[in-house]
Amino acid sequence: MTLSRIGATTLAQMRMMFRRRIVLFWSLVFPIILMALLGLLFGRSIDAGTITVIDASHTPASTAMVHALSTTKGVTVKTDQTDVAHARKQVQDGDRDALVVLTKTPAGATAAHLYYSNASATQAGIIRGIVSGASSRISVAATGSPPAIVYSQQSVDSSSLSYIDFLLPGILALAIMISAVIGLSTVLVTWRKQGVLRRLKLTPMPLWEFLVARVAASLTLALLQVAVLITFGALVFGVSISPTAWAAIPVALVGALCFLVMGFTVGSLVAEPETADAVTNVITNPMMFLSGTFYPVAAMPAFVQTIAKVLPLYYMTNALRDTIVRDRGLMYVMPDIGVLLAVTAVLAIVSLRTFRWE
Amino acid sequence: MVAIQVDSLTKRYGEHVAVDGISFQVEQGEAFGILGPNGAGKTTTLEMIEGLRKPDSGQVHVLGRPVWPDPRSVQSLIGVQLQSTTLFDRLTSRELLELFACFYNRSDGSERAQLVLEQVGLVGKADAYADDMSGGQQQRLAIALALVHDPDVVFLDEPTTGLDPQARRNLWDVIRAIHADAGKTVVLTTHYLEEAETLCDRVAIMDESRVIALDTPAGLIASLGAEVRISYTEGGEEQVAYAHDAQGAVLETLEAARQRGAQIEGLSVRGPSLEDVFLKLTGREFRE
Repeated sequence: MTLSRIGATTLAQMRMMFRRRIVLFWSLVFPIILMALLGLLFGRSIDAGTITVIDASHTPASTAMVHALSTTKGVTVKTDQTDVAHARKQVQDGDRDALVVLTKTPAGATAAHLYYSNASATQAGIIRGIVSGASSRISVAATGSPPAIVYSQQSVDSSSLSYIDFLLPGILALAIMISAVIGLSTVLVTWRKQGVLRRLKLTPMPLWEFLVARVAASLTLALLQVAVLITFGALVFGVSISPTAWAAIPVALVGALCFLVMGFTVGSLVAEPETADAVTNVITNPMMFLSGTFYPVAAMPAFVQTIAKVLPLYYMTNALRDTIVRDRGLMYVMPDIGVLLAVTAVLAIVSLRTFRWE
Repeated sequence: MVAIQVDSLTKRYGEHVAVDGISFQVEQGEAFGILGPNGAGKTTTLEMIEGLRKPDSGQVHVLGRPVWPDPRSVQSLIGVQLQSTTLFDRLTSRELLELFACFYNRSDGSERAQLVLEQVGLVGKADAYADDMSGGQQQRLAIALALVHDPDVVFLDEPTTGLDPQARRNLWDVIRAIHADAGKTVVLTTHYLEEAETLCDRVAIMDESRVIALDTPAGLIASLGAEVRISYTEGGEEQVAYAHDAQGAVLETLEAARQRGAQIEGLSVRGPSLEDVFLKLTGREFRE
């Protein structure tokens, strides 16, 4: 009986949710508009710039590195320099964007040293990402038996993605976060204020069932957001969706659950709907700008990167980006899922201790 | 058989005693009214019986079962319309009723929904959202929700407060039908004297946290020991007197006024009402 009751309650919650046009606008239409606007404003790809490569080692690894860099989208590789000091001066003067020097270590390994300018923090971050990504790829591959390595363009790093590819998972994470936090905070406070929770208390149905139904309805909305945004991204904006994109479904569900519990915590602590809205904004706005939604966290100052790593949206964004456009499967994003589940557990304990009916 | 047994029920909020050791019984099938001015303790009393507010001392039994400490044992026996419940938006009357029927694990939700919609005269609004309905219609929906699981005892907390006279009279017909036709025990609070008088078999008058009188409306009025109430204004002050014999009392009043050379105005003679009972018991006018 309880299962059928939860089912009927979930259906009612879905009706309440989907019959509100404003909910549909913020959760589905607005993200698409945002994606279109940002896509138009910032063009199709991030241009990493021109990198000078001086290969003084001539190992298979160094050759592979030069190849990897020169096939990275948005990167122009120049091998016309031999003098490191002169090449460094070029980077300092802004004639080139970075310099990579490849040398042989006494142990026989290949060392890559990157010189870059901080004149543009974003560009420096992108270049750091590209070069460190390429070198780590080669290091991994070098431990295997054949020294010759084949590189696909996509697998190098996020910075090789076109901007719209980069943007789609970020906006999806953002949209799910906002829908989920608001979906439980403001709603819970309003229910309490209007006496709906008291009225429910008079029925034999326990409150947890009612909340489970709400969570189920909200998770359905999250799945709808995944489907609509990915479809729109692929068909209208030409985002190249990885075959691993199905793994975005568990990531989206766990992320949505985390932010629903966050909304429930706000709803448990706050008495007025207006306060709930304000608190929700205070929580979600910084996350929106610090979690790599619109630009790579790697391109931000170091202290911002530290802050990002305590924000749940950072992990959700990363995991969605990995699975939707970076060809990475569920196992790869398990650490991100783990962080989201841990945050969920902590918030659940806090909110259950502070929950009030009236 | 006793539907509700209340013994020495007390509720305090800090220093303030909201309900002060009240006791009464409600018989099954009775329409029982708790009448009193705002702040008398009516709603607190009702909420302690419904299981929403835990009493500080005293006991409540509904159909023989103790409400406290675990109100769940009486939940399916009682139906409650709270004083102010804004219901979920974006659900129609019918959907809400079916949902509530489902909360009580009833499998006949759609039949029950249709039945109570008919009972409260809301069939025409079955597919409307609550926020698109008038105040009177919303109250009727709240009563329908209290009835949907077919409870034995129905609690209505100030059901007609804030309604215009026409809507109030319509709602009275609904409440009468629940009591008379459906045979439910109805307990209602009100601060409308006329409402208590016309709807209730028995009325408990509450004032300052206590029950100060309890009887049938006719019995309460008879306790005044008067057949008529005579009132007039003399020198700007209203005078009220009670008497057995209307004709004799009017003549006496006029004669007395003539003898002392006073000018009296607005002489009115009518049968006494619950208002007079309240005035006599408290020395204060009942302000609705």
